[in-house]
Amino acid sequence: MSNRTRRQLLFDSYLGLGGIALADLLMAEQARAAAPADPLLPRPQHHAAKAKRCIFLFLEGGVSQMDTFEHKPELTKYAGQQMPKAERTTGEIATFSAAPNRIIPPVSPFRQYGQSGRWVSGLLPEMATVVDDLAFIHGVKVDNNNHGPAVYHTLTGNQFPGSASIGAWVTYGLGSENRDLPGFIVMGDRRGATIGGAGVWGNGFLPAAYQGTLFRNGDTPIVDLHRSASMSDTAQRRELDLLRWMNERHSAERTNTSELDARIASFELAYRMQSKAPELVDLQGESEATKKLYGLDDEVTEPFGRQCLLARRMVERGVRFVKVLHGAGGDRWDDHGNIGERIPVHCREVDKPVAGLLKDLKSRGMLEDTLVVWASEMGRTPFDNNLTTDKPGRDHNQYGLVVWMAGGGVRAGATFGATDDFSVRSAGDEVPLRDVHATLLQLMGLNQNRLTVLHAGRYKKLTDIGGRVIKEVMA
Amino acid sequence: MVSVTAGLRVAGLALPLVLLCGGGVLAPAAPNLESAAWWSFRKPVKAALPAVKSGAWVRNPIDAFILRKLEESGVAPAPEASKRTLARRVYFDLVGMPPTVDELNAFLADSSPRAYEALVDKLLDDPRYGERWGRHWLDLARYGETSGLEGDGAIGNVWRYRDWVIDAFNANMPYDRFVTLQLAGGDEHSKTRNNYQPDVQGYIPTGFLRVAPWDRSNLVAAEVRQNYLSEVTTATSSVFLGLTVGCARCHDHKYDPIPQRDFYRLQGFFNATQPGGNMAVPFRDEAMAARAKKEVERYEALLKDGEEKKSLDVYEQELLKKLIAGRAVKSRGKPITKTDLRLEVKLKPQRIFTGEEVRRYNDLLEDANRTGDAEEQTKLDAVEQPMIEALRAAYARPGADAEKRFEALTVIEVRGEAASKQSEKSIFTEAEKQRHAELAGTLEVYQRRLSRWRTSVAAVTNVPGPPTGAALAPVRVLVRGDYRQPAETVEAGFPSALTGHSEPAVIESDRYRQYPTRGYRMTLARWITSRDNPLTARVMVNRIWQHHFGHGIVRTPSDFGKNGEKPTHPELLDWLAVEFMESGWDIKAMHRLLLLSSAYRQSAENTSLKAGDGDPDNRLLARFQRRRLEAEAIRDGILYVSGRLNRTMGGPSVFPPLPADLADFARYGRTGGLMWEPNERDEDARRRSVYIFQRRSLPLPMMAAFDAIVFSESCERRSSTTTPLQALSLMNGAVLREEAAGLARRAQAEAGANRPDQIRRLMEIALSRPPAREELDHLDASGSSLETLARVILSSNEFAYVE
Repeated sequence: MSNRTRRQLLFDSYLGLGGIALADLLMAEQARAAAPADPLLPRPQHHAAKAKRCIFLFLEGGVSQMDTFEHKPELTKYAGQQMPKAERTTGEIATFSAAPNRIIPPVSPFRQYGQSGRWVSGLLPEMATVVDDLAFIHGVKVDNNNHGPAVYHTLTGNQFPGSASIGAWVTYGLGSENRDLPGFIVMGDRRGATIGGAGVWGNGFLPAAYQGTLFRNGDTPIVDLHRSASMSDTAQRRELDLLRWMNERHSAERTNTSELDARIASFELAYRMQSKAPELVDLQGESEATKKLYGLDDEVTEPFGRQCLLARRMVERGVRFVKVLHGAGGDRWDDHGNIGERIPVHCREVDKPVAGLLKDLKSRGMLEDTLVVWASEMGRTPFDNNLTTDKPGRDHNQYGLVVWMAGGGVRAGATFGATDDFSVRSAGDEVPLRDVHATLLQLMGLNQNRLTVLHAGRYKKLTDIGGRVIKEVMA
Repeated sequence: MVSVTAGLRVAGLALPLVLLCGGGVLAPAAPNLESAAWWSFRKPVKAALPAVKSGAWVRNPIDAFILRKLEESGVAPAPEASKRTLARRVYFDLVGMPPTVDELNAFLADSSPRAYEALVDKLLDDPRYGERWGRHWLDLARYGETSGLEGDGAIGNVWRYRDWVIDAFNANMPYDRFVTLQLAGGDEHSKTRNNYQPDVQGYIPTGFLRVAPWDRSNLVAAEVRQNYLSEVTTATSSVFLGLTVGCARCHDHKYDPIPQRDFYRLQGFFNATQPGGNMAVPFRDEAMAARAKKEVERYEALLKDGEEKKSLDVYEQELLKKLIAGRAVKSRGKPITKTDLRLEVKLKPQRIFTGEEVRRYNDLLEDANRTGDAEEQTKLDAVEQPMIEALRAAYARPGADAEKRFEALTVIEVRGEAASKQSEKSIFTEAEKQRHAELAGTLEVYQRRLSRWRTSVAAVTNVPGPPTGAALAPVRVLVRGDYRQPAETVEAGFPSALTGHSEPAVIESDRYRQYPTRGYRMTLARWITSRDNPLTARVMVNRIWQHHFGHGIVRTPSDFGKNGEKPTHPELLDWLAVEFMESGWDIKAMHRLLLLSSAYRQSAENTSLKAGDGDPDNRLLARFQRRRLEAEAIRDGILYVSGRLNRTMGGPSVFPPLPADLADFARYGRTGGLMWEPNERDEDARRRSVYIFQRRSLPLPMMAAFDAIVFSESCERRSSTTTPLQALSLMNGAVLREEAAGLARRAQAEAGANRPDQIRRLMEIALSRPPAREELDHLDASGSSLETLARVILSSNEFAYVE
């Protein structure tokens, strides 16, 4: 088939059969073409795995593990006393202040929940009800004890800026199943930007097609999504038809036109995105019960609840990777001071939405092929900061991150890794963060060693020198 | 000088660093030490020009090399592109904008055989050339104006480095000097003067060593320093040498440990460097100095007693009264704590405590806060508790005006309260806070603009060293790159893969030995720019080639090692490299050579290649490589053809407005500062893209969509992706909307009332060609407004692709 006729067929079929046919044909076309293929073409997994898409919940600021998912009775016992010196706790932690390191007891008492009898803080009563669905990894070690590098490490595998984010890697590996929406979407916290900004959901050294698209938590989810007020749909359609006419004429006079043709198609995709994206963020079709499940009826839980509900709607539509951000600016989980009053607020903001998300995914049968991950960039110390205030808070602890996973391929109720009695260091072998990344990829059907790109002289990968796949949390 | 290059015995033995970096699945096996030197580690030599059959095609030596390979492959070169196509191509290549209609017509009318050559020369002299090619260099230099990471604060006035790069290209600074200044500005000695002070202008180009991202919030100095040293080592090596050593920082792989050692030996050249405070560097350019002086005076006046400043002062006093009253009310019935004590002791005159008591208390408080030590805290507690008791007693006395303590509040507390999150406890209303933020924000912006025009600029300097400072800390190999795990000590030295040995480099020093920390960077720069260095010239000519031909002769332009691609035309690359050095590292001469070749002038279509099977990657160079313009050329091109581009050169960066949907992202909760600022003048939004403020955490969405993020790592080649987000930014974005209207107005004004004339003019301005009959009819018959047609044409593939 000549270039010209194939192209003709494509557009005829677009007009005649609608978008899906176009997408199929485009894929077929591009699979054949030697020249730059559509970068978001769906690609097979490296190995069979249940999870087809991922919702990554990122709680920024350093979630205190001993006020959420790590039950440490010693903290109650030693409350207010100086941190006892134990062999395991003598290593250097770059804290922001020196001794006396007075132990802060858990902000809320822990109780056991579910079949697994897991201990969960009283601050998370809703998540406690789904705790049997989660698999926990404790004592994860991050490369740096400061927010900026630690956020980069958690979200891009490298504490230095410039690398590709997890979502970019996954989309690079698997493409996207929805051609009317971006393959990798970031749901921002409406209170502000993440530390590191666009870089933490960037494509790094991968092509720009894999960068995360920031969805704002509002009516205009994507920049430049809406036509200007002076432009009607009809006018825009007519304009695009004219553009296509010009572009096709241009292509017809040339050879090696696959890139030019892809650009023609991109305007059609953009046109469709204009209607698909608002439809995506329009929650009118959701039942009251569903909205309630996510806490949309409560002003404290509404913002994150909306983000979580949108995340479900995105994966439902075949978006490959959704990163949901919580915490920004002064509202991060960075509770150096006054943790007693602050962390209950953070917890309440996310508790019901996250539980709602898991319940909703489960009841729709989507949890089986969706991977849900909860992470922060670091854990916190059991002791206070000594910031000469009346209200103590906890310092950063790069050795104390807790990550949980749920959904496709995850062994529900599993636990891996542990910290010492004070949650200062891991109690056994260290769990470097790259192990978590390796596991995430494995669960998504991607082999960390095959998902590579040649950059600056080496085959880069998310896990750098390679991580250990944590089989213990996999079904 | 002898000592510097003594290490350059190019040996048969080579241990390619890149090969040892490993990590990837496709990393080759351990090196064979007996193998011949890797091609790029051998000095380039000019081979004899190859014999070709179609000698008439050969305009200069480049063509002989290209044609020889084409003839071997049985492919004929493409015919020469039309003059129109060629003009548009060379304009975009050299100045980043299309020709004007008049310029194009003059070129078309010039039938002299030297017409094209004259055009190339004209464009090389055009100051827009420096902006275009300076931007290419800024990609390599990972140019950003903020540190990235937490806070993402500005790196002081690095726009001076950006301007220096632009000026250097425009002035055709020899490449060896261009390299030397960026690595070793301010690191020079005098052969005759014992108290020689370096030229302060030399500090500006060291912006190259200063723009690396870093974590401001990291309090561990040793770690910050090690990260810095590693970053500049990595960037220097890949940018100037095309050697990727970065991975040798940490990875303690199964391979030979020598390369990791070499990484730290190379790092040794930066050991005396400190990326510390800013340097005062006067503006060399008189016009710029005058501009700066005027701006400084203006903003100083505004900040001292301008209208906004007066309004803020008045408003803060108003808020202070409200704060004092509000805090007093809230205090009623609450226990007296140390917060109250700290207010009371600020009152003048003191009512309850003696001057001595207050002094002692303030000293202890200051010590405790400063040190954060438990010991100091205990001392403070011991004094504070009785004072709180005394305060309670005093306040309890009849007639004691306890609430008077709140008169100690100042505008500092007003600002704190104004910046705090709104809640039911707030004393100020949301509207009051908003108003305060607006007034304070305006002054903050003035303050920033003022500081941008001051002479202070981020640079690197040298640590003092003996006799006035400490000796240089030894350079240690770090296990896994971890600053906490130092291993053996090494001396600064060049990569053994290139020199064939691991001897320390002999560091240039002054004959009087007065500046023992000077000369390290200069020694490295001299070695890099030595004619004996096999990589430097090859790497740079390949970069120039890449921008003209679409791909480098080596298609991994920052990696000339084993993981990189081999050159498609090795003899040509070597010939060019030697030619480059022989010309005195003359960049413009190299452009000229490339652009005047027949190879460059080919059409993008070659009928002797069968579509789909013949050389799809264009490795033979049997045609011109059609390619999408970069983000900058698209945006600048759109602004230029609309006639609204603000051509002002140089100076502090500008802030094209963020899309409205993103405007609230311009604020950052934690540090409170504005992430994106209003411009001084509306037309600043329409400056060339190279002048857009480069905030690492907030690239302009349109630029990012077209693959121009703000770089944090050296970028040797832009991606060129096609995404619906690009289409959205053209369909709905403000830039295209406004400039298409501008273009339509312009076409109308230039073409008169006749619609077909207007359409014709529109196409000539934007696409450098008149419409075909059929096109004109179709566009006219569409009934679309001229503005709509302008939008269509500016969004078209023909506009976005140069060929």
